[in-house]
Amino acid sequence: MNPLPLITGYRPQAPLLFAAQGLLSQARFLGQAMALARTLPQAGFVLNLCESRHAFLLGFAAALLRGQASLLPPNKTPATVAAIRARYPDSYVLCDREQSDLGGMAGAVVVPLDLDGEDWARAPPAIAAEQIAALPFTSGSTGEPLPHAKSWGGLVLHAGLLSSRLGFDGAHLAATVPPQHTYGLETTVLAALAGGAVSHCARPFFPQDLGTVLEALPAPRLLITTPVHLHALVQARLRMPPLAGIVSATAPLSIELAAAAEDWLGAPLHEIYGSTESGAVATRRTTAGELWLPLPGVSVSADEEGALAAGPHLEQAVRLADLVETGADGRLRLLGRSGDMLKVAGKRMSLAELNHRLLAIPGVEDGVVFLPTADGAAGIVRPAALVVAPTLSEQQILDLLRQSVDPAFLPRPLRRVARLPRNELGKLPRAALQELMRA
Amino acid sequence: MSVEGSAITAAERELANLLVEVLNLEGRDSASIDPAAPLFSEQGGGWGLDSIDALEIALALQQKYGVVLRSEDEATRRAFASLRALGEYVRQHAPALTQG
Repeated sequence: MNPLPLITGYRPQAPLLFAAQGLLSQARFLGQAMALARTLPQAGFVLNLCESRHAFLLGFAAALLRGQASLLPPNKTPATVAAIRARYPDSYVLCDREQSDLGGMAGAVVVPLDLDGEDWARAPPAIAAEQIAALPFTSGSTGEPLPHAKSWGGLVLHAGLLSSRLGFDGAHLAATVPPQHTYGLETTVLAALAGGAVSHCARPFFPQDLGTVLEALPAPRLLITTPVHLHALVQARLRMPPLAGIVSATAPLSIELAAAAEDWLGAPLHEIYGSTESGAVATRRTTAGELWLPLPGVSVSADEEGALAAGPHLEQAVRLADLVETGADGRLRLLGRSGDMLKVAGKRMSLAELNHRLLAIPGVEDGVVFLPTADGAAGIVRPAALVVAPTLSEQQILDLLRQSVDPAFLPRPLRRVARLPRNELGKLPRAALQELMRA
Repeated sequence: MSVEGSAITAAERELANLLVEVLNLEGRDSASIDPAAPLFSEQGGGWGLDSIDALEIALALQQKYGVVLRSEDEATRRAFASLRALGEYVRQHAPALTQG
């Protein structure tokens, strides 16, 4: 495969970023990235912890120019940073401010954000398509971070597919997600380098922050976010400038919240389905129906173990964690996690359905059914449940659940808790669930 | 209003009740709260809250007191240090609390 330019469809004076100082052109960005690349240490890998998207993008681009792969941690806790550094001794840490609260930071390189730099005057540098550009991590079954290598060629190709589907070309993006997460990497970093989008450098957190960021951006504006942030945004009832679209991923979005968000923000909402391993695979307009449309050239096929995703950006088919049903037109219906099909005495029920039944009980505000790690002598693992329901007792919840669920699948134990241990993306880490169940 | 040591004020108790309510912290008795304890750490009798809680708190403060939080603001960072700091932030930005 031929090398691919650092910026696809290079237009030197077109903007790439909305930085603290305002719009930054592609040529000026390349000038800054080249200047940073010259100062980076010699190494195989760089652990990019930058919070500003400007610093992250510069670090990511400079690493590519130096042939270094970017390690993208699932979180920035000292334990995670230390574990990744121990696994990659030939690495250094890149950050954008003094982060004294992080462990393993010795020798960290700080990206200077006041750099002005000069416009790059030539064609954009080309990067080998097979070069490993990014290594996002998932938490493995035992909790240790697992890397997933992404080649530059695969990322660029995928960015083109996602950009054509979601209309990134020429759009201005405000995102509440970190660039280290695969979703954030694809929608705010690759979308800018290879999808024609302009990314705002900030990571707005509170609804008010988001308003400030969106107001700074010219139209057309796209909001890249998650169900947790959408919920806060809809509840806050703050006026936002007109949006061209909303994108949500990382956790399932209810139709009610999708409709409320579309109504309040006055723009269509598209949800992305995918995984760290496969990248974004399919999208849907959540309020228009439950079926997912795969990205162009991407296919998902069901097999006896679950489902496989294949596409031009993937060197080989990637196993998905969900059970899917594929229609004649290629659209997908998700049937729940494949590891989550419960089979007891010839009866089958998916954890997804069980979850759905639990959440449908009036008075249940939040809840999750999951399979705890087997430690029983019999080797039979029963589903367990954690439920937030201030007005119901555990027995009452079980009685109500029994009305729609076969007794073989009733969670045991079912524990009432004050709240679920959701992480900053609104997900429920398995280790946290186990811990809460033991407490 | 002058307060000795870590005694909790009426305004701080009202704020503590709001936090317990919106965050569903049923186990936490607002009567025994140390207003100087950290909100985002479990050290020193802290609340052990996380960033999702911060979103919920911001929403509740906006809805109840009309107080707006911005994450870029250094004052917001300071406000989330403890219940006392948060109460002080709200007092400065919304007079309703001290009258309540």
